Amino acid sequence: MSTILLINIAWQVSTLALVTLGLAIVFGKLKIMNMAHGEFVMIGAYAPIITSSLGLATWLQLPICIITVSLVALILERTIIRHLYGRMFDSLLATWGVSILLREIVELVFGRSYQSVPQPVTGTIDIFGTDYPAYRVVIFLFVIFGFIVLAWWNKRSKVATQLKAMVENPELAQAIGINTGRLSAGAFVFGCATAGLAGLLLAPTVQVEPMMGLDYLLKSFFALVVGGLGGLDGLAVGSSIIAGTQSIVSVAYSQTAGYLAVLVLSIFFLWLKPDGIRASS
Amino acid sequence: MKKFHYLIASIAAAIGMLATTAAFADIKVGVLVPDSGPAGLFGPSSRNAAMLAAKKINADGGINGEQIELIFADAGVAPAEATQAAMRLWKGKGVEAFVGMHNSALREALIGRFNGEVPYVYTAVYEGNSCASGLYITGETPSQQLAPVIPHLMQKKGVSNWYLIGNDYNWPRDTNVLAKEYIAKAGGTIAGEEYVPMSVSEFDSSLQRIKESGADAVLVTLVGGASVGFNVGYAGFELDQQAIRLGTLIEENTLAGIGAANANGLFSSSGYFAAIETDAAMAFAASYKNAYGADAPALNSLGQSTYEGLLLLAALGNKAGSLDVAAMDAAAEGTQWTTPRGDNTMSGRHVAQNIYLAEGTGGEFGVVATFNNVASSDACNK
Repeated sequence: MSTILLINIAWQVSTLALVTLGLAIVFGKLKIMNMAHGEFVMIGAYAPIITSSLGLATWLQLPICIITVSLVALILERTIIRHLYGRMFDSLLATWGVSILLREIVELVFGRSYQSVPQPVTGTIDIFGTDYPAYRVVIFLFVIFGFIVLAWWNKRSKVATQLKAMVENPELAQAIGINTGRLSAGAFVFGCATAGLAGLLLAPTVQVEPMMGLDYLLKSFFALVVGGLGGLDGLAVGSSIIAGTQSIVSVAYSQTAGYLAVLVLSIFFLWLKPDGIRASS
Repeated sequence: MKKFHYLIASIAAAIGMLATTAAFADIKVGVLVPDSGPAGLFGPSSRNAAMLAAKKINADGGINGEQIELIFADAGVAPAEATQAAMRLWKGKGVEAFVGMHNSALREALIGRFNGEVPYVYTAVYEGNSCASGLYITGETPSQQLAPVIPHLMQKKGVSNWYLIGNDYNWPRDTNVLAKEYIAKAGGTIAGEEYVPMSVSEFDSSLQRIKESGADAVLVTLVGGASVGFNVGYAGFELDQQAIRLGTLIEENTLAGIGAANANGLFSSSGYFAAIETDAAMAFAASYKNAYGADAPALNSLGQSTYEGLLLLAALGNKAGSLDVAAMDAAAEGTQWTTPRGDNTMSGRHVAQNIYLAEGTGGEFGVVATFNNVASSDACNK
């Protein structure tokens, strides 16, 4: 196994985990099959375009991204999503409609053409003897740090405990005074905001156009099917297996074989172990 | 007596109306452009170019003295649906000729339905070797885009070891069969060849293979988002220091998506670029801007091709004296006409045309070489 392959695997796993995190929260905790997940990633990727078209400074891309995505998520939650908690297949249909709507709106505003987002950090740096894009290294470190903070928060914070209570037994949680409505809304918005953040971070490395979200939706579902909906460890396991398999098989055989392996794996898990490896407790 | 007068009057009126409609009968031309679907991006520019062509043709006297009228249909939907739309235009609306800017699947379906009964001009760049009665093709073929360009680049840039990467379907595969011939003839070698499924959007393993192969040139036949993603990743790994890139379907919009910073050493071979500086091309760009404004959908090879297709239809129709397929087929070979792309000659149902090599370094295309009157070896044998 060459160094570059190992680094590539680390990159693919961490970016998949980053993109899937939002869906793990929304689907895993709130049981909303958010088919518009990819569109939140897409809107986040458009944040630099929004920022420059408003004539604002580059450093404002991050706040603009969070604000825009959170606003869209909040509007969505208050109007449509809050009627769908616990109704998984209804949420699938509704959010699919929303995803079409969001794509069309972005197309209306920015057109169908490709946009380009310049890399904030250019060049390559030498890692264990191989040249690797510096920007990817920065994102990777950020993702690791972010997940450590998130895991710590999940273990220690009161809100996280309330969320767990609400997921396990919503009626009892409400009875003891937890504001489930506000908690659900907050969780949904947070999940979508992380998707938007993923889009912003990845935008300089991929194509940016209204249809870009579909691919992320698919990959996120694959990761959750395999890893299971049991919180952060399910996310870690799922991302590692899916991204790792595709990376290794793509290098060993071909890109076709790599994608085929991911599909076969997902089909097997859906068939034989639909709850995934780390099913929710 | 009064009844008789009424009868004469109504017959006269009827004759008068018939005469009027006959005098103003426009030739209806069906134009199939992708308003939706994966190529939907090119719909608006295709429409604009087509309408501009109709204006020019009508100003020059139409086809055989009759003005033409364009009727559009969406070619971006699935082939079965698009074929239905074309049939509605033909049988329902009395369309007498078709111009199509769409994918190969639809072209083959339409060839089957038209069965040589109506003239059909196909304008998009494609894999070559499509032959049928009544079918005339202005679209560039791989032999035209590569036969003069590969040896030229190899000599100018001192490269000889090519890596071929494309999406997994017939256009890239057919292109690479020819590319390998031209590379071998120019004394080059193949460092590797790979095909990527349309659903794959990350190219780390491919980029690794390119790096390890030691290639100094890459022929890119990826399409759409894959082309953008690949080229962005390529520059991220600074592979542009190792190898130049040549693409045969990299137009202005794809270049915009790739971004100025990632287009170093990126070349594109095509029959048209908005940046061509010949008199004809610049005059065309100016009239396009006049007609549609500065914010109009940007000109590119695919969008502009409908203009080429309509001008071919007019040239052939006028030479044959009618839009009857037998007459047009008989008159086709050797027909010459001039368009914004330059001088064109009909050869084997395809068009011997100018091929431009452009470099995208810096984020905008600049034409670096022009090859005149390049005939297609993927054309039809008469």
